[in-house]
Amino acid sequence: MAETTKTNIQLFINGLLNENPIFRLALSMCPAVGISTTVMNGLLLGVAVIFVQVFSSCTIALIKDYIHPRIRIPTYTLTIATWVTVIDLVLSAYFPVAYKAMGIFVRLIVAFAIITMRLEVFASRNRVITSFWDGMGMGFGFLLGMVVLGAIRELMGMGTLLGYDILGFRPLLFFVLPAAGFFLIGFIMAIFNYVEIVYKRKTK
Amino acid sequence: MREIIKITIALTISCLVAGVVMGSVFIVTAKAKKHNEHLNAQQTMLGLLGYGKAKSAPSGLKLYNIYRYIITESESKYLGYMLPVKKGDRTRYELLVLDLKGQFVSRHSLDILPEATIDPKDRKTALKSVLTPPVTITYADTTIVASLNDKRIAYLLPGEFPGFKTFIKAMLALDADFKILGLEIIEHEEDPGLGGEIEQEYFKNQFKDKPLEKIKKLKVIKEPLPEKYRKYLEKGKWKKGTFSKEDIAVIQKNYQDKDIYALTGATISSVSVTNGIRNMTKKFAYRIKILDKVIASRNVPVSF
Amino acid sequence: MVKRFKTYSVIMGLMMALLLSGCETEHRFIKKVAFKGDDGIAVTFAAPVDDGWAKDISNFIVSEKPDPDIMLDIKDTALNPDRTKLTISFKDSLNQNMPHILTIKRIISKGRPQGTATLTVKKLYFGYLLSILIGAMIIHNFVFTKYLGLCVFFGTSQKKSTAVGMGITFTFVIVFASLMSWFFYQFVLKPFRLDYLQIVVFIGMVSLSVQGADTILRKVNPALFKAFGVYLVLVIANCIILAVPLILADNEYNMVESFMLALGAGIGFLIALFLMSSVRERLELANVPVSYRGLPIAFIVAGLFALSFMGFSGMSIF
Repeated sequence: MAETTKTNIQLFINGLLNENPIFRLALSMCPAVGISTTVMNGLLLGVAVIFVQVFSSCTIALIKDYIHPRIRIPTYTLTIATWVTVIDLVLSAYFPVAYKAMGIFVRLIVAFAIITMRLEVFASRNRVITSFWDGMGMGFGFLLGMVVLGAIRELMGMGTLLGYDILGFRPLLFFVLPAAGFFLIGFIMAIFNYVEIVYKRKTK
Repeated sequence: MREIIKITIALTISCLVAGVVMGSVFIVTAKAKKHNEHLNAQQTMLGLLGYGKAKSAPSGLKLYNIYRYIITESESKYLGYMLPVKKGDRTRYELLVLDLKGQFVSRHSLDILPEATIDPKDRKTALKSVLTPPVTITYADTTIVASLNDKRIAYLLPGEFPGFKTFIKAMLALDADFKILGLEIIEHEEDPGLGGEIEQEYFKNQFKDKPLEKIKKLKVIKEPLPEKYRKYLEKGKWKKGTFSKEDIAVIQKNYQDKDIYALTGATISSVSVTNGIRNMTKKFAYRIKILDKVIASRNVPVSF
Repeated sequence: MVKRFKTYSVIMGLMMALLLSGCETEHRFIKKVAFKGDDGIAVTFAAPVDDGWAKDISNFIVSEKPDPDIMLDIKDTALNPDRTKLTISFKDSLNQNMPHILTIKRIISKGRPQGTATLTVKKLYFGYLLSILIGAMIIHNFVFTKYLGLCVFFGTSQKKSTAVGMGITFTFVIVFASLMSWFFYQFVLKPFRLDYLQIVVFIGMVSLSVQGADTILRKVNPALFKAFGVYLVLVIANCIILAVPLILADNEYNMVESFMLALGAGIGFLIALFLMSSVRERLELANVPVSYRGLPIAFIVAGLFALSFMGFSGMSIF
């Protein structure tokens, strides 16, 4: 794939909607199911992912000409692992409560296929600025997905949003259970599919 | 061959660079982490004693840490207490060694600054230098004694006990007669909405004001919380005029001697917390009495 | 004839070794000591002990290992008819998850003193290992209870054959990678206080294991490689394979416990894949609404599985 021809803003929106990591590309679903119990959790993990994605994309775009083709994958992995360790250390030092809520998932960011894939597909062939915007788009797409899921689950499960009591009672505790994460993602994916089908039918 | 050398060099350089980046971040954040942890712990402790944003801690309030160790010397085991003592107008630490029956064995001055006692490694070094090898020193627990104007007002016990999922870390506050002043759940991995409710006021506040004799036999009742009691427990949600002074007295009298009402759908978590608190309090009350006896009989000039 | 004798003697030797190793305690006169019921400890002696001595409860001191200064209250003691088995009953029920230290003073058997014995009473270690294994397999199933490894899970669970292939490959790689990570963690990272390098090192170990498995499989069994080769690459992108070393580092497991955890995780993943593929094969033939076809319905099925696996939570064996 040659250098991209999209503008920066188009890249950003691409990451948000067309190629939304969670709902369209079906990648990085582990945290989407497990951590999206509250908006705050989703927000924090989303921010962590944006950080890792953007910094990794920019790093790889910077050094792409010096990477030996045969050690591509180890280099990507090393870069991602370094940034994940950095954000892990920073979070555990300055935001211990949030860090504990996310448990093992911060350290697992390194295994998210979305980040490696993005580096391989995009950052290794484009300039730093474009890679930056692509990374932001993907990261924000992830953040959006997590926040939407978190909002639905928190509102329906606990009646609160970001800790503030909105409903005053608990509709269905079921939504806080992780099994509901599976259900919700399935439903939202179906909605995305449906919208795509209708859109295709309209433009035919 | 040249390819392999190039690859190896490139990989090594990348690893080194990565290592340097991570190492420097680690050094910077490690200090901040310790500092934040300490601040959080202080805040929790002051909160349990009733001080916080609304009521700031008076200047006469001082917190002293007592560290308990188990010392194994060949076949015999001893208890070692690291106590803060008064030396002139400064505070220094001493090691008081007791045998398993509570009899005095020996007393040593420790070469460690009070601020440094927070670091477990520094404590161990100080202890090792006064005890003759071969000896094994195992850390047991910490007790924080709160004294206001040189009078003991509370004991703060951080503790860890098994819960429904993994462990529950809590801090218990007892007053000078071992009545529960408050309970704070610091860390747990219980299910949110079910076992996670042990963090809520209506569960934690049930433990307040229970006397020692009741704690020793504390159990869990598998019944839902009565509505009026729940409203009383959720002190944070009290609006003006909800409870008059007589109401409060009546509720206190009715429920002070009752056991703990279990959380809906989280009986095991409730039982774990109750058992944990009961064990912590029983063991602590037993040990502090023995320690106080030895301190009195040997005239150790403790700071608390 | 001689051959048979040799085999029999070897078998007998093994049995004796097993029996003795199971029963050996730290004192020659005490054959066995174990928890009995909720609130008792049973001690088996090598010979009958004296009644008078056994009835005196001051000869027995019991405490939990971390609290040697707190002696538990003994209610009474009871001897069996031939006076070789003694049951000590306690006022409160015992916390059997903690090892207890039992001191038996001045044992008197047939009028002759046999010394003082200090023994450790604890639950079978083998039970603990088994509980880690079954825990990782079912109670804390990595896919349905911990929500890890989902990408690969959904990708390879469409047919039974691919699912089983992925599961088996994964089990091998994860056991190997976990053991290597354990070695690295214990002997390199911990002594040098390089804990923060965990993530990088573990993912490095995983890549190495996959690379190694790839090479070995290619040379040793090309047919097997053809069947499983493509999954090896997918294994790296799996959250579980990084989660297992992180867990065993956090919990400070020793080598056998780590092995059990990795094995349980791999088998649990295999079970999850197998269950899921069985359902998805059926779904291909069912009448699913258009928007739901493919991944959405798979997610909903996974949700149902997750709900049912929740029924296992809190189970404790041993």
